Amino acid sequence: MKRPRWSAGTLRRVVQICSLVLFVALFLAARPIPAQDPPGWLKVYFWLDPLLLVVTFLAAHAVAVMALLAVVTIVVTIVLGRIFCGWVCPLGVVHDIAGRLIHGRRTPPATNRYSPWQKGKYYLLVAMLVAAIFGAHWISIFDPLVLFYRTLTAGLFPTVQWAIEEGSTAVYQKDPGLGPFRLVRVTEPLYLAFRDRVRAVEKQAFLASGGILAFFVVIVALNAYRRRWWCRFVCPLGALLGVFAWRPLLRRTVSPESCNQCELCGMNCHGAAAGAGDQKWRPSECFGCLNCTEACRRGALHFRWVWPWRSDPTMASVDLSRRGLLASAVGGITVFGFFRATPLGRAKVFNPQLIRPPGARPEPEFLARCTGCSLCMKICPTGALHPCFLEAGLEGIWTPRLVPKLGYCSYDCNRCGLVCPTEAIRPLSLAEKRQVKMGLATFDTSRCIPYAYGRDCMVCEEHCPIPEKAIYFREVEVLTRDGEIRRIKQPRVDPAKCIGCGVCEHVCVYRDLPAIRVTSANESRHLSNQPLPAWEESYY
Amino acid sequence: MLKSSRREFLVEASAVAAACTVGGSLAGQAERSAAAMAVAKWGGDQPSSSDEIERVAEQLTVKAVEGIGGIGKFVRRGDVVWVKPNIAWIQPPEMAANTNPKVVATIVRLCFEAGAKRVKVGDNPVDIAQQTYEISKIAAAVRPLGADVVFMDRSRFRRVGIKGEVLKEIPIYPEILEADLVINVPIAKHHGLATITVAMKNFMGVVEERRTFHQAIGPTLTDLCLFLKPKLTVVDAVRVLVARGPRGGRLEDVRTPLAVAAGTDVVALDAWAAELLGRNPDEISSVVCGDKAGLGTKDYRSLNPVEISLA
Repeated sequence: MKRPRWSAGTLRRVVQICSLVLFVALFLAARPIPAQDPPGWLKVYFWLDPLLLVVTFLAAHAVAVMALLAVVTIVVTIVLGRIFCGWVCPLGVVHDIAGRLIHGRRTPPATNRYSPWQKGKYYLLVAMLVAAIFGAHWISIFDPLVLFYRTLTAGLFPTVQWAIEEGSTAVYQKDPGLGPFRLVRVTEPLYLAFRDRVRAVEKQAFLASGGILAFFVVIVALNAYRRRWWCRFVCPLGALLGVFAWRPLLRRTVSPESCNQCELCGMNCHGAAAGAGDQKWRPSECFGCLNCTEACRRGALHFRWVWPWRSDPTMASVDLSRRGLLASAVGGITVFGFFRATPLGRAKVFNPQLIRPPGARPEPEFLARCTGCSLCMKICPTGALHPCFLEAGLEGIWTPRLVPKLGYCSYDCNRCGLVCPTEAIRPLSLAEKRQVKMGLATFDTSRCIPYAYGRDCMVCEEHCPIPEKAIYFREVEVLTRDGEIRRIKQPRVDPAKCIGCGVCEHVCVYRDLPAIRVTSANESRHLSNQPLPAWEESYY
Repeated sequence: MLKSSRREFLVEASAVAAACTVGGSLAGQAERSAAAMAVAKWGGDQPSSSDEIERVAEQLTVKAVEGIGGIGKFVRRGDVVWVKPNIAWIQPPEMAANTNPKVVATIVRLCFEAGAKRVKVGDNPVDIAQQTYEISKIAAAVRPLGADVVFMDRSRFRRVGIKGEVLKEIPIYPEILEADLVINVPIAKHHGLATITVAMKNFMGVVEERRTFHQAIGPTLTDLCLFLKPKLTVVDAVRVLVARGPRGGRLEDVRTPLAVAAGTDVVALDAWAAELLGRNPDEISSVVCGDKAGLGTKDYRSLNPVEISLA
């Protein structure tokens, strides 16, 4: 039978590519535009994500209104099965492309059979949903949309940006050409378009990006072992959708009289859901990619509408054992216990370097919402927000923190709260955000130039954005080595006014270890981390 | 071998640098014979709205430039002119933290009228550049006139040997050096460390690695100005910041002297602005250093500035 030129499979591939392009376009659109609030549609993929909805609801008992859009995805899945995985998920597209490049169109039946290990993702999901009931949003860092977005932010895009910036600068400075033709006439307009319309921050690069990129490379490379390995065995969103796709209305049926058990359907299947072995179709593993119907040479396979209560002998469900589910639940509670049974998790101490974005909720509530999607890091106009590695414990891996040495919280920006899809960072007005203390700046007087070396400096004071100035100075007389009396200005911090934005640390003359450093002390979100309450008496 | 004009210029510029201490003072003396400085002040009713202040700012700028012989004395037909305002902070014009956009726009217009081929407007802001250009309203004011709004990319600065007293080498934005004329358009304001920031300190916006300047603000600014040899400076004192500078952020710290000064001598203009801001020029280290090094004179009255009163 000749393959029709425009099959349903081709349509599916077009939709997938469009979805990937849209996802990347929305990613690129997330940039700080002067005097403009970031639009809500930047997070539309996250709104449509049922895993984020369910986990946020369980962990924080509250969801952002627009996140209810994920109900649409759930309804679609109940009716049509996991077509989100097969047609929409941008990480799924990446896996499909990788699988196609590695294996070609067909996979040998031996490596494409349904494996009982595919149940693992359900047990994992159950464990982490139980942990979510206690307040761990942790599973969402493995959400495919989240992890792909984070990989784009921290790994892939900075690499592209590095190549463009360094390449065009090299051409600009060497100014090569042939005769009257100068290469800069080509490279400069391209560079300027990239600078003004694409990139967010000059020389953007992120901490902890190596781990993020390595994780991504590994899960894509595992397509070599099994096509869409991640989607079949691990993906928590896929598992959740698999639960909703338990008995979809649109089902694949086989005409037994036409089927000669050639296994072509199984060899082309993306999810190991069809044929091969017991010949049964597993709807919770099926991505609705339509490869099977397209591959069948005898027209034996059809997707048909079936009432949900009708059972079907050719359909099989994923058998999860009661014992396995119980073990998962216990495992989930145990993992949560491990997360929190740490000095940091029990709030016995605070990490001075864990400076959260302005408006971040108190740490337990923050961790009950933050997905580590990196949208806040992408939109930050100074590149100040970076993924944690272990600064917030294992539970807080890849959640955002302010690193003043690399960027500072602009006094005129409140974008991180506006883009946060789960409101882990509260959406504050600019006026409200300016009142939030993220930390406190402290001088290292053994390095600070006016203290240690008796010279004027005051770069920090100049940059302090608080109109009343949180950094002020006092004129003092110092004795120089030569016995000369010199009047200099020594800066000080007023803890009642300092909001911990970090610009002072960022601009300090010392580039290795700044002589003024911001720590999380005095942060508004934790009363127990406030050594200097803003009482009436003024400070020394 | 083909070489870009940019590179040739840089070579020349470095070569000339050695002689610039002497050259600078000679050039300064030659120009003093003409009106080397003019101050335009508003003597009419206090403007009640921002729009009226803008209109006054435009007139003052035109008159001040006319007072020193008109822009045609500096801009030749076909020139590429760099207009260097103070665009440092994310603050609206009312806060007097950046040069008044109307003053900048008027200078741009005058340059084009005098036949300039291109007018580039740019600074190396302290805050985020894109936001600063927008919120200061300078980008929006000069774009419709046909000026190029230029962002100075950090990676594009080039180290230039300037052979100064304290500064030997500094990354300067190359297009500044390539321009036929740089017009310095600072605002007069208070500065926590330097006491005031006006014409000389505005040139901190064409370099990188400037954080250490604060440790010796007078000598570093003098070195930089001697190298750059400013030709025309227009000081915006329409609104000024008298405390909590240079960033400001409180309307209580803003005054409206409604004045614009134009001149060729950055030291004299700084001395004038110091008095306007209620300071003694002798207490401003950059003014003292600049005077001593022959960059200009702190006794601005000796230049017999033309005084123009508008109403």
